Parts: sequence; structure tokens; C-alpha cells
Amino acid sequence: MDLGLAGKKAIIVGGARGIGFATAEVLAREGCDVAITARGEDSVKDAVAALKRYDTKVVGGAVNVRKEGEYKDWLAKAVDELDGCDILVPITSAGGGAGSEKYWHNAFEVDVLGPVRAVEAVMPGMVERQSGSIVLIATTSAGEAMGGPQAYNAMKASLVTWGKQLALAHGKDGIRVNTVSPGPIEFDGGNWEMIKATMEKFYTATLRQQPMGRFGRPDEIARAIAFLASPAASWCNGSHLVVDGGFTNRTHF
Amino acid sequence: MDVRRHITIQRVDPATTGNGTPAEKAPDPELGTGLIPKERYTSSEFMKLEWNHIWSKVWLLGGRSDDIPEPGDYICTDIGTESVLIVRQKDQSIRAFHNVCLHRGNRLRPEGIGSVEQFQCMYHHWTYGLDGKIEHIPDLASFPQGCPPAGRILPLPCGEWGSFVWFSLNPDVEPLLDFLDPIPQHLAPYHFDRMKWVRDITVEWDCNWKASVDAFNESYHVQGIHPQLLWYLDDVNLQIDCYERHNRYLIPFASISPRVALPSIIPSPIEHIMRKAGMDPAEYEGRMTDIRKDVQAFMRANGPKRGRDYSELNDDQLTDDYHYMIFPNVTLNTHADDLMLFRQRPHPTDPDKMFYDIWIFELLDEGEEPPRRPKHQLFKHGDKSIGLVLDQDAFNLPNVQKGMHSSAFEGLWLGEQELRIRHFHKVVDDYLAKGDVA
Repeated sequence: MDLGLAGKKAIIVGGARGIGFATAEVLAREGCDVAITARGEDSVKDAVAALKRYDTKVVGGAVNVRKEGEYKDWLAKAVDELDGCDILVPITSAGGGAGSEKYWHNAFEVDVLGPVRAVEAVMPGMVERQSGSIVLIATTSAGEAMGGPQAYNAMKASLVTWGKQLALAHGKDGIRVNTVSPGPIEFDGGNWEMIKATMEKFYTATLRQQPMGRFGRPDEIARAIAFLASPAASWCNGSHLVVDGGFTNRTHF
Repeated sequence: MDVRRHITIQRVDPATTGNGTPAEKAPDPELGTGLIPKERYTSSEFMKLEWNHIWSKVWLLGGRSDDIPEPGDYICTDIGTESVLIVRQKDQSIRAFHNVCLHRGNRLRPEGIGSVEQFQCMYHHWTYGLDGKIEHIPDLASFPQGCPPAGRILPLPCGEWGSFVWFSLNPDVEPLLDFLDPIPQHLAPYHFDRMKWVRDITVEWDCNWKASVDAFNESYHVQGIHPQLLWYLDDVNLQIDCYERHNRYLIPFASISPRVALPSIIPSPIEHIMRKAGMDPAEYEGRMTDIRKDVQAFMRANGPKRGRDYSELNDDQLTDDYHYMIFPNVTLNTHADDLMLFRQRPHPTDPDKMFYDIWIFELLDEGEEPPRRPKHQLFKHGDKSIGLVLDQDAFNLPNVQKGMHSSAFEGLWLGEQELRIRHFHKVVDDYLAKGDVA
């Protein structure tokens, strides 16, 4: 099956590591030009260098998503450098945390406003071309009460709702919007690797709940994202795809 | 080194520490790369040498001064086959003497702390004063040979430093501060006297006492048995300093080891450090690699508001572990807000066993109710948890001891990260070479 991704232009917010980087890599391998951003200058540089091996255009810059001006400037620059944007995957997250009201602000600014501002930046061009694909990234922790009451889950859940709203509103513009909810993903240098060492009981308890006896890998989410982002998924719109190896309990009728 | 990132740890400029703890790197001693023979850990003969040349010769940590504030308060502590009483006198000085009745050899008191008017043997009620002099022998006239000639229990040198009491089994021992040098100058700025007891535990471990000393004298094992600490401290970029007989290393805390990738969220152990300092990790806007310095700045600015006086400590001491080893058996994890001290004592007869004392003291906020002094707990290895990190050490050490008995093992094959272990054995050698067999 040809995904039809060759020549597309994709922006990945939070693309230097983990699922974001794996997504950028799958897209670049399929022939997309990509723009990535993350907070750390070094990590963006390393990621850009690694992505260049697929011989497409790759640009990147370090940005703090919470700084509105800086972030919007980068988004505009990325659209400009790629000469348009066909695919947007905003994946950046402030992560979890409980016990301080500040976590709500952080999650709102990064997990919610991060995607909102990115969508606003690319939408006019997509509407103009009457074509575009946006994949929002939520979490299985939105659909199931995991990790105790905290901002992360609730804020991520709002993306599922908003994604549906966008899909309905922009279907007429030829723009598809879908949401992917990954389960726990483990990778070298990732947060679950740290949790494995620092909160071993929580790690093993979560691992025990995995039907396949392991956590997911970034590329396993990236391929699902790439499919939804691609023209091959032309009839997928407003969908919410849980990619978790069967981790969550809920049956979707 | 197997690292993923290269880190330059910002350290205080040694020229700026003034009268505080010196921060200079001491020149590394040339100690070669030889094997440390395993018999040092396993043989009864070596154990006897250690007794004759070290335990019976040096100054030893006896206890804590604030456990004996009033005249008659005493600490009874055992070392090897000996037991010692350290007693507060009416003039507030302390005296030490053997814990033994001169009549039939009964021990006067069990190990621990207590308070007496006089020491009366339970057996026949021979009675001794706070200074160890015989005060009363029932039916004295029934001893034609009279009272034992010295009229007292053999006294021992003792002294106080750093809120601790020290004693020696050696009547000719050098002055306490000469033996401890340069530790008093290094550790005075911490003011351990301001800290309060929070834990007092002794665990009987199935290993030689030196295996325990070694376990805390290197950070190389962090990547092996304490993986969680890689998101808490920098086990690679530390400074090792060896002095005449004592040594130290300085480990940056609130740092992520260069052995692991930087995570995208603050590791929970570092969040704990931030909260303890009074910071809200959710509010933290800086880079992961700046947390250590930012915690230091925060504590510097906010410590006084909590009544915590850090004025004599340098910035690094506010976060880092200034980790000292006082020869032969005291390990001190010194921090601005607490002291975690380990005293490692040999078993009286078995080289495969030891006593591991854990003493923890904490600084309190101004006006904070001091906790009740914890009761001393004594248990055997594995019977109770002593906290995750120490449990990891405790789990490992008996296997090290058993393994050292293997015919395929000749001795310790040490690397540069284990320089303190090599230095420790060099000091052991120095004492053995004195040839002063008891």
C-alpha cells in the first residue's frame, strides 16, 4: 500500500525524541519534508542531523512552547521554510504531576495551547489549498483513570473532544483531523526508562497489565500516526485511535 | 567511561571558601594498581592483626554528646571483644573506662545509653563511681588480699569533637584532634550539634566490616546496584580527595548522571530535593541541568527564613554530598540539612560478620518541635528494611563476602573510581607496618 506521503510537508512539535522523533523519521523515510522543534537546542540539532539521512528537506529549531511569541514565530518560520504544511503532528507535553496548581497551568499551556497554536498557524494555508491532515496526540490515560487525579490526563482528554470538533468543522475544507492515544511507550532515554529505575513498583505493575508483556515502542505509534496523516487514510476523519497493544480495558462498541 | 553526555559540573572556586570547608582537590596518591588480597576480608589471622594494630590503637567513635548531657549519663559501646563506658562527669567532662567488674568479670552495663548515680555490678553489688573508682565492695573484710590494687577500672582516653564522643583502647594514643586532622576543619561548618537524632539502627551484616566501608567509598557501584540514583546524582563527575589517613569525595546531587539521557520531566527523586528545599517543581522554568545550582541559590536565599543557618557552608554543600570517611570505620554523608553516618564495627570473632550502625541526624526549622530521640533498633540483615538504597547495598554485601571465599578469587581488582578503597588499604598497611604488636 502506498501511503502517498512522498513530497508532503510535515511539522512535528516535540519531534526530537520518543514518539515525536519516530514520527518525523517515518514521515521523512516516506519522503516528507519535515520541520521539528523541541526545547533543547542540542537534542533538536541531533534529531535534525539524524533525519537528514532520508534525503528530504529537514529543518528544526529549539523553542519553548510556553513562550507564545517565540513559538508562534517558529511555527510561521517552519511553514515558510517548508513552503506550506500538509501534515501537522503536535505532540509536545508538559508531562504529569500532582500536588501543585501550577501543573494545571503547565499542562494547559503545553498540552492544550501547544496544539491549538500550531493548528491556528497551519489552518489558513490548509484551507487555502483545501487539503491537510492533522493528528493530535492524546493518551490512554485520558480514557482510563490512571496515575491518580492530575492535570495531564484531563488536559489530554480535552484534545480528543477538540479534535472531533475540528474534524467536523473543517471536513468541508478537505482537512482531516484525527487523534491517536498511545499507551505507555518505552525507549532508550525515555521517561519510562527513568520510571523503571526510580519507581520500580509502578513500572512493574503497569508492565503486568500489558497483554503482550511489554511496553510499546515509539515506531509502533509513529506508524499509526503516519497512516492517519497520510492520504491513504482519506476516509478517516474525527476518529480516535487507541494504540496501546491492548492495554486499556474499555470495549469500544 | 560509559556515558551518554559530557557534563561540566560547576563547582565552587576553592579560593573563595575562606574559613569554610576546603574545596581544593588534593593530589591523588600514587598507590599503584595491585590486587588487594582477599585474605584481608576472610581470614581470622588478618582479623587478629587488625585488632592488634588498628582497633586497639586508634581513636574510635563512641556515640553522640547530646545523649549524655547530665552527670551520670553514660554511653556503653562495644568494639570487638571489648566493651567501654563513656560517662559524663559532675564537672561536665567525660571519662571512659572498660565496662567490666574487677571482681568476676561481669559486664557492668549492657550496650546502650543510660543514666546512673554509680555503677553497681548486678552480680555481687561491687560499686564504682562515675569515674570508675571502686566505691564499695560488700564484705570487703572477707578478701584477705584486699581491694584490687589500682582501686579502679582501667581508664581509657576519651574526648569530644563535632558533637560526638570518641574513645581509644590505646593509653598512649595521640591527641584526638591530631588523629582526626583535617576532618575537624572540614566538618565544623556543618554544626552537627544543631542536628537532632532521627534514626539509630544497628544491623548485623554477613560480611567483613571492610566490605561495608568499601561499599560506601566508591560511586562506581551506583550504575550497578542503585540504578534509580542515576536520576538523582552525578556518579561520574566527582572529586576524590585522600588525606593522611582519612578521605572524602564530593558528589553532585540534584543532577542527572551522564550515564543516562536527560528525561523530559523532572525525575521524582530530584523533585523530592526541590520540595525539601521549599521549591515547587511545577513552578520550575529552568533547564534540567540547572536544577542543582538553582536549588543552591534558593536555599541560600530562603534558608534563613526557616531558621537554617547555612552561612558557613559553600553553595555546593547546600546540595551535594560531601562524603567523608574517618579511618578506620566512620562513613559520613554530610549535607546542609542532615547527616547520615555509618559506623562499621567488626564482629568480635567472625571475619564474615560485622555490625553496621546507621545514625541519622537532621536540622530542624526554627521553632520546630524536636522529635523524640529514636529508640535504638538492633536486627539481623534482611529482617527489616533500612530504606531502598541501603537495602540494595545490604542485599549485595553477603554475596560479596561469600564470593570472596571462592578459590577462583584472589583479591580486589580496583579501578580509578575506587581510589578511596585503595587509600583505605594503604592506611591499614601503614598501621600494620608500625609493628606494634599488643
